[in-house]
Amino acid sequence: MPRKPAGKLFFITAIFAFSLLAGNSPAAAGGHKLKRDEKKVLDYLVKDWGQDYSVTSVDLAMRAVGLPPSDDIRYHIGSYIKQHPELHEVLRNWGWVTVVLTPDEKLIARHLINAQRDGKPAPSLAEIAGAVSLDQEQIKRGLAMLERYEIIRRDPSRGGAGYAVLPHYINWEPRLDFLFHQVTLAGGRQFNTN
Amino acid sequence: MLLVSSKFADQKVVVDDSSPDGTARIHVVFDKGKLETAEPASTIVFAGGG
Repeated sequence: MPRKPAGKLFFITAIFAFSLLAGNSPAAAGGHKLKRDEKKVLDYLVKDWGQDYSVTSVDLAMRAVGLPPSDDIRYHIGSYIKQHPELHEVLRNWGWVTVVLTPDEKLIARHLINAQRDGKPAPSLAEIAGAVSLDQEQIKRGLAMLERYEIIRRDPSRGGAGYAVLPHYINWEPRLDFLFHQVTLAGGRQFNTN
Repeated sequence: MLLVSSKFADQKVVVDDSSPDGTARIHVVFDKGKLETAEPASTIVFAGGG
C-alpha cells in the first residue's frame, strides 16, 4: 500500500492543530476581536473572577491594567463578554450585566426600572441626576451605555428622559445585574464581590 | 463582611455599596475588621456570624 508523503501529512496536521488553537482563543472567536490592551483587561478579569467572591467589573479591570477611562473601549470589552459566557463560571452564575456596567450606570438603570415597575412616570434627566447624585451629562452618558447594551430603548412616548426599560430587566433581582459591592483594599486593589 | 473580618482583617477596607431598593449610595470604611465610618449616618451594618 503506497504511503502518503510525510511532508503532506505534517502540513495537514499543522493546519488541524492551528484550527484547534484558533477555536480555543476566546479573544478571536465569534468574529469580535479584542485589541491587545482590551485582551489584557479580559485576561485580568478571567484571572480575578471567583477570587474572594469576585465579580469584578470591566471599569475596575481597565484601571488595574492602566488603561484610561473610555466608554468605547469599555463597551467593546463588555460586548465581547456578553457574547462569551463560556469565558468563566462567574458570567454563567451571575450574568454579564453586572460586570459590564459601572456603579453609576447600575444606579441610573435602577432608577428607571423602579419607576417603570411601579407604574410611575418616567423620570426626567434632572430627576435621575438628583436621585443618583450625578450631573446631567453623566446621566446622558450612562443612558447611552444602557441603550447600547439594549437594556433600555428610546421611547419618547414614556415622557421624562424618553427611555423605556426592556421587559427582561424589570424583574432583575434573581440576577446580580444592577447591584454592586465595590471593595478597595489598602494596597490599592479594587474588586466587586457578589 | 466575611472578607473584612477574615482575610482582610489586618488592613483598611473601603466598601462602596448602595441600597438595593433605591439609588442611595453607601460608603463604609473598616479598619482591622472593625467598622470605622459609614455614610449616610442612617446606614445599618449587620455584623454577625462566627
